[in-house]
Amino acid sequence: MALTLTCPICGQRNGYEFRYGGEEKGPRPDEEGLSPEDWCDYVHLNKCVAGIQKEWWFHRDGCGAWFTTQRDTTVNLEVEQPEAQL
Amino acid sequence: MNPEIWRRSPVSFDRRPAQTETRDNWMVVLKYEDESEGPYLIDLSPRTRWDVQDSHLAEIRPGGVPIPDKPGQCTFQKGILVNRMNRTQAAVWHLTGETPEPPAHAAYTDVTESTVFLALVGRRVFAITEKLTSLDFLDPARSAPFLLQGPFSHVPCQVVTLEKSPDRAGILLTCSRGYARDLVAAILDAGEEFGLRPAGQIAFHNWLEELGY
Repeated sequence: MALTLTCPICGQRNGYEFRYGGEEKGPRPDEEGLSPEDWCDYVHLNKCVAGIQKEWWFHRDGCGAWFTTQRDTTVNLEVEQPEAQL
Repeated sequence: MNPEIWRRSPVSFDRRPAQTETRDNWMVVLKYEDESEGPYLIDLSPRTRWDVQDSHLAEIRPGGVPIPDKPGQCTFQKGILVNRMNRTQAAVWHLTGETPEPPAHAAYTDVTESTVFLALVGRRVFAITEKLTSLDFLDPARSAPFLLQGPFSHVPCQVVTLEKSPDRAGILLTCSRGYARDLVAAILDAGEEFGLRPAGQIAFHNWLEELGY
């Protein structure tokens, strides 16, 4: 199934124009008192949701914008307009 | 510039130049033999281009021309086309006039020799581009000039629609220099059925004048 994504600058485009940037994991944890194990978990562990997931994408072949969007991982379809990071 | 340093366009057409000139160590083809009536593919690679990156683009005026507020918008004044690419980046293309030195400001990078720069002008231009890309250069929601960024013949490009009218249509496109040979071959192949021919820079300036620029 062909994935299309909606870039906040360029509009709806073929998914092959984009690079996946990983799950949205929330703000970077406070470094004060952060253990190496917790930092490693933040960087490397993913939830891998079977369903709607918020994630980062980069419009590599287009405008170069980073943005977040919601994708249903079970059908590989975008389900909401992206939250523009302009 | 040292007169012994030659700057070479990444584009070469299989046509005999009829008129050339040397400009800033580039050998510029002004006219090819048997250019006919177009549509034309024109190599503008010797024209100066700057990349501008800064978090406060609104405070920067390349050559005295303001950078548009929104990505996708363009400003064309004094022969300088300024294209807003995203939140922090704009492209500056000098289409006419002398070759300026880039300002000393750290935001500027001269990308003239790292990119290829082409114009596709004349009748049926959009019939040709339709064979090469899904980008909509005739988007009714936008008035020319406007910028689209995306694959053109599978190559990531910046493309500006300068004119939409059927008889005088025209786009400008730029991408990394290494794609030049294959991109030009793909465009000429797609345009063959429409009579697309290479042309020199005189044809481009005549086209700009007809548009009133």
